[in-house]
Amino acid sequence: MSLRLIRESWRAMWAVAEMTLRQQVMDAFILFTVLVQPLIIAILALWMLRDKGSEFAIFIVVGSGMTGLWSSLLFISGNTINLERWFGTLETLVGVPTPLAVIVFGKNLANVFQSLTSMIVSYLLAALLFGYTLRIEQPVLFGVSLLLTVVSFISFGLIIAPIFVMNPSVQQWQNAMEFPVYILCGFLFPIALLPGWTTPLSVLLPPYWAARALHGTSSGGAKVEEILLSWAMMIVFSAIYFFIASQLFKKMVVKARADATLDME
Amino acid sequence: MNAIEVSHLRRVYRATIGVLRRSIKEVVAVEDISFEVGAGELFGLLGPNGAGKTTMVKMLATLLIPTSGAASVMGHDVVEDADAIRRCIGFIFGGERGLYWRLSGIDNLRYFGSLYHVDPDVAKQRIPYLLELVGLKDRGRERVEGYSRGMKQRLHVARTLLHDPEVLFLDEPTIGLDPVGAREFRQVIRNLQSEHKTILLTTHYMFEADALCQHVAVINHGRIIALDTPAGLKGHVRDLSVIELEVFGVPPAVVDRVRAQSYVESVAVENRDQKQTLLVQSPRGSEAVPDLMAALNGTRVGRVVVREPTLEDAYVRLVGGEV
Repeated sequence: MSLRLIRESWRAMWAVAEMTLRQQVMDAFILFTVLVQPLIIAILALWMLRDKGSEFAIFIVVGSGMTGLWSSLLFISGNTINLERWFGTLETLVGVPTPLAVIVFGKNLANVFQSLTSMIVSYLLAALLFGYTLRIEQPVLFGVSLLLTVVSFISFGLIIAPIFVMNPSVQQWQNAMEFPVYILCGFLFPIALLPGWTTPLSVLLPPYWAARALHGTSSGGAKVEEILLSWAMMIVFSAIYFFIASQLFKKMVVKARADATLDME
Repeated sequence: MNAIEVSHLRRVYRATIGVLRRSIKEVVAVEDISFEVGAGELFGLLGPNGAGKTTMVKMLATLLIPTSGAASVMGHDVVEDADAIRRCIGFIFGGERGLYWRLSGIDNLRYFGSLYHVDPDVAKQRIPYLLELVGLKDRGRERVEGYSRGMKQRLHVARTLLHDPEVLFLDEPTIGLDPVGAREFRQVIRNLQSEHKTILLTTHYMFEADALCQHVAVINHGRIIALDTPAGLKGHVRDLSVIELEVFGVPPAVVDRVRAQSYVESVAVENRDQKQTLLVQSPRGSEAVPDLMAALNGTRVGRVVVREPTLEDAYVRLVGGEV
């Protein structure tokens, strides 16, 4: 890949992210998914655990933000390609020199940034409505964890979008995939509370490592080697997913051109 | 070097039909089509609905893979070198879709400019120029959802010219435009032609093809049935005259009776509100009028005009009156 191509793709990716945010800012479904639903979850959890103190509050703030991230990934990033087809823009996007994978990357980037606002809103909610004094114990490590979380969620989004397009039967399970991941990945409570047999399932899910790193660095108490392990797992999963996604996108575009499914008409 | 080369291209669509006893139905959209378009040439593809024009354009624009045969654009194969082709082509498909309605016209152009790898400094100058070119200078900041169909179509034109492509595929670009907008758009095409762009144009409007194209291929049922210059195609009907008969409420049986006359080559019916116009092609010219009036016995006939055939008449003869 030449430097020119990298520069052009980089510019295209940010343009896609900017325009996606502009389009989605008034979309009621997206606002519900990334803001309202995580807020409802945060209010419920903060209310139930109101006697437990600030340490639990920051756990819930981070956890509810992650629920927003996951839901946005599943429903918005997962449907990205199908939505373009419904809008009639998929043909135009396939016909441009920018690879479709770069365009979907930009869209996922916008979705993930948008979902992170739910974490900020939950933070304000806990601080202002419930009066908690919230503090991130290891801010630098938390920042790095957040960055890796963004990358790993984007890479996961890049996989599910072409899978949903090529296998509509898998997409039928989209709704059923939302809450189990909240639970298995320990977004709102530690997975130690779950039966032991679920642990192998959790470690195979990249959001689990993201949750572990974010909870560990925000609430404090996590050892550096534990945080490093979570980072390493996120990097490994992201690398694997980026590679698989690049192959899936090539296969999907060729299949769509062969089957004439780029357009709905 | 030819800008576009098409050799024995074929495209078959497969659809699964039935619920319990499922079977695969094959529809041949393009069958054994070959043609060449020289660099800087404006080439027209004419044909009735479903003839295979859009399928042809989509294969050349790398949006569909041919079932068999070969095609290249600027020397790049449409299957193997799709990425290289996408850098040097622009395309428009008739209709309103393909834009982001929640974004403004300017934002749509900025967005697609990035995707076509247009340098931001170049885009800053090119976007206002293109908006002026397509008559949207004063509406560029408004959301596309408030645009009329014609405005959306014109924004498509601006989008496709953003990266100054060498080859343009225009699939019925003037469909939905009002007469003034369509005329302005034809002027845009002429300007592009003067810049030596290679253009492949599909259209239903024969006068458009006659006025713009250097060569025209007529497609019907997926096959090329004629390929010539507009003047050459008109030669197909040089021996005929066209008799236009304005009639009121002509029943299909009477049209069939006219069509059955030995001196009648073809009959097409154009509906215009309460009246119809019968376009009768005949080698006998004005001499055929009394016999035609007799064949139309019982039908109210208005104005009768006998004229030289046009490209449209040649087209009607070629596709067998399917207009």
